Amino acid sequence: MQKVRFGVTRLVAASLLLSASALPGAVVLPVQAQDNAAVCASGFTEAPQLKAQVDAGALPPVAERLPLEPLVIQPAKEIGTYGGQFIDSWGGGNIADIRQFGYEPLVRWSVDGSEVVPGVAKGWDVSEDARTYTIYLREGMKWSDGQPFTADDILFWWDRVENNPKVMTGGPRGELKNNGKAPTVTKVDDYTVAFAYEDPNGLFLQNMAGPYGQRAVQFAKHYLEQFDIDANPEGVAKLMADAGQTDYAAWWKANVGTYNDAAQFNDPKRPSVHAWIGTDTLLGKERVTYVRNPYYFAVDPECQQLPYIDERVWALAADPEVTLLQAIQGNITMSPRNVSTPQNRAVFFDNQEAGGYHLVPSRSCDYNTAVLTFSVNSPDPRKAAVFSNPDFRKGVSLAINRQEIIDTVYLGQGEPFQPAPLRDSPFFNEAMAKNFTEFDLAKAAEYLDKVLPMGADGKRVGLDGQPFAFSIDINADFRPDTVDTFQLIERTWKQAGLDVTINVRADNVFQNSLAAPESDGGVWVGENGCGQLPLLNLNRFLNDYGSWQPGNWKGWTAWNALRLDPNATVPEGVTPVEPPANVARMYELRSLIPTKIGDEQAALMKEFTDLAAEELLAIGVATPAGFYRSVKNDVHNVPDELIEGWLYPGPAPSNLSTYFIKQ
Amino acid sequence: MGSFILRRIIYVIPALIAVSLISFLVIAVPPGDFVDRLAEEAAKKGDIMPLAEIEAMRRAYGLDQPLLVQYWSWITGVVLRGDFGYSFGWNLPVKEVIWPRLGLTVVLSLASLLFVWVVAIPIGIYSAVRRYSAGDYFFTFLGFLGLAVPNFLLALALMYVAFAWFGQDVGGLFSPEYIEAPWSWGKFTDLMAHLWLPMVVLGTSGTASVIRVIRANLIDELHKPYVTAARAKGKGEFALLMKYPVRHAMNPFVSGQNDIFVDIVSGGTIVAIVMGLQTTGPLLIKALLEQDMYMAASFILMLSVLVVVGTLLSDLLLAWLDPRIRYQQG
Repeated sequence: MQKVRFGVTRLVAASLLLSASALPGAVVLPVQAQDNAAVCASGFTEAPQLKAQVDAGALPPVAERLPLEPLVIQPAKEIGTYGGQFIDSWGGGNIADIRQFGYEPLVRWSVDGSEVVPGVAKGWDVSEDARTYTIYLREGMKWSDGQPFTADDILFWWDRVENNPKVMTGGPRGELKNNGKAPTVTKVDDYTVAFAYEDPNGLFLQNMAGPYGQRAVQFAKHYLEQFDIDANPEGVAKLMADAGQTDYAAWWKANVGTYNDAAQFNDPKRPSVHAWIGTDTLLGKERVTYVRNPYYFAVDPECQQLPYIDERVWALAADPEVTLLQAIQGNITMSPRNVSTPQNRAVFFDNQEAGGYHLVPSRSCDYNTAVLTFSVNSPDPRKAAVFSNPDFRKGVSLAINRQEIIDTVYLGQGEPFQPAPLRDSPFFNEAMAKNFTEFDLAKAAEYLDKVLPMGADGKRVGLDGQPFAFSIDINADFRPDTVDTFQLIERTWKQAGLDVTINVRADNVFQNSLAAPESDGGVWVGENGCGQLPLLNLNRFLNDYGSWQPGNWKGWTAWNALRLDPNATVPEGVTPVEPPANVARMYELRSLIPTKIGDEQAALMKEFTDLAAEELLAIGVATPAGFYRSVKNDVHNVPDELIEGWLYPGPAPSNLSTYFIKQ
Repeated sequence: MGSFILRRIIYVIPALIAVSLISFLVIAVPPGDFVDRLAEEAAKKGDIMPLAEIEAMRRAYGLDQPLLVQYWSWITGVVLRGDFGYSFGWNLPVKEVIWPRLGLTVVLSLASLLFVWVVAIPIGIYSAVRRYSAGDYFFTFLGFLGLAVPNFLLALALMYVAFAWFGQDVGGLFSPEYIEAPWSWGKFTDLMAHLWLPMVVLGTSGTASVIRVIRANLIDELHKPYVTAARAKGKGEFALLMKYPVRHAMNPFVSGQNDIFVDIVSGGTIVAIVMGLQTTGPLLIKALLEQDMYMAASFILMLSVLVVVGTLLSDLLLAWLDPRIRYQQG
């Protein structure tokens, strides 16, 4: 008991250190949704079918299958009963894509997303200087095949997967690095692993709670060693020959795979820590059934081993309309995100009774329906001068009638918003979110006149008196609502005298038009704006999506790369451009913030958002609102409100293992 | 005849080479490749694929090679080893994706063909014999309606009707419990219970044209002197109709079935997508949209082979029917 309580205090200390609760205006942290402290003196109980297997001698007793200190998950409403199926509609690839499966990282987001709580790990220590994170695993925890889960499995992931250039050519993902440097990962004992960073790391736990953190618990050494080309060269050579593949990285991605890959759940023999495990391969299948993992490491407060639900089923539906129909017929337990849109709400609402489901509101972590970025580094110097001038961006933003867009396109849901942390985030900054969101053509003209004076024919011209026309690329397939939005924007922009063309692109063409250096500007959606996520999401506020970006910012990006590393290679055809002082400081802050903790970090975030408010680097439209999921009426323990997101991969963190079906 | 067949088969080879090359190039030529699409799909989910990973994948999949090298390694695999390459989109070898779906596709296509024939041929005959009667107008109206209403729309409407009034679960060819089950009598009857909907949807448009072809041909035949002569000799009206004019009227219809193989494999793609059918059509669309090039190219190559074989067979049939063709060619 001593040890367990210690785990909990450690956790509280950590969240004080790392969460933004010390910030003015921070959300009050709710009671923890789960902890390790369980008193199960009278032992554990288990699902009837597992009990039968134990009685038949096919399975060890439940107490031997669970760790010494299992994770105790507090159900959202009540203690459940065993049984039933949970049916999902699925597009045929990676079942984790639907974000209703596959969230069991070392440390995880609490259900409401406000803090990081234990998951596979029972607790952690953070060194005073925030350079070393010590993770405590659960003694006696087993993989789904009954083999022990130990520090060796974490080390195997780190050494043989994340840092193995033969499978991860790019090295460890940026989320796992700090200030560009990877940590040293060491095994302290069988149940303790230490991550040591060179610089203080203020974001380690949050990053480990995100989708990429799950990689750490995906690789059971005793099983996956056979697929390691260095550990088992002949075996792998034979497997690759059987599959007709010659490239190890490609073979590995298709047959072993990690979080992003469809292969990760395709091998039914691969040990897992998830609540349900596969019984057959799933790629190319029409309907896949997963059964309960007899070794799942969590229990409810009454010491019943989770999950409550017997089986998870994935039913293939290639077309969203089919998914929608399946959902309103009540054939799906919870509707997937792609059909649970405000536009479909009426259809869902009308069929509630016939389909035997109800709608559960779902809050989106996206911070904007549409984020417009201009090519500040356009190869055309006239355009570059205009687009990189804040007066232009402010004028353009004031010439958007956001309320009209919200009323007509988004059915009155949402509020006018710039790309900025949402109101529920401790990093919410009123100025960054709301500046220049009012529709005011007179004020817009004031700003625009400084950059693009009005010409004789009512069209604005460049300072040289020559006509100035530009175009915006939008992706009609990804978010059809942006087509309607930009029709309305085009109208008010023309009233403001702007000579603009909106290019509505199909999916395939959109990406290429973004990559074209001469593109004037593009639109993407704003993601990861709720709770602490903006802290992990500074890249997107600087229009950095990794390999691509809407609007050409390549000059600034190259400048920043050279600032960090004078020997960095600049892509061909790109000239580094030094951004204005404010923006340069924002780039600097992006590198600094992850290396700070507590108040210092919060102060830098404030500085970042203040500068963003002043510069208005990107232009937003509205907060996304009106999302929901249909949930069958016999399913219980669904939280009153779900959360959608990516870095918080909702609704998977809502503890699906505690959902249960009431007959 | 033998040399005619041989000659036709020899012509087929360069045609197939050209088709395979062109189909491969057409898929690969647009800017961007499968890895770009993958990165964009990841971005839509919120995931960011690092540049290093993108480049590594491109190398791993051989997409950094010159196009002709990629074509050569693919086509030699197809010809020498029967290996159609790897579907990036499905993470499976192409043949493992296509073959399991081919069986159901053939069943569905044959079923809708039979539906067309069973419905359209009697109606065509009836409409010709009772020309300008109320029944003729009724079926003509129905036929044109079937021709004019887009299949996918009809599919959606029928799915709604089946759902709203009959409570049938729609989407797919099987009930959930049979989808991945091995074949059994239960699975077969379940297939039959689901097959009628896509069969009717796919059949309606075909029905109209068959009705019109048969009606028009039969009307021409009905007033020929041999009919009058047979009738004068006291032949029964129905036996007469079936024995002479109908047989004549069927000829253009039969020779018009030369693209039957292609229809069987790729017919009704849109309907299959809308109805969630486990047939091959949606595979091709998905492969093309994703620039899953080996998958798409293999599929197009297969369709081309079927077109060529179908044309060859219909030529042979014509040659057999009409000796003049044989003499000219031979």
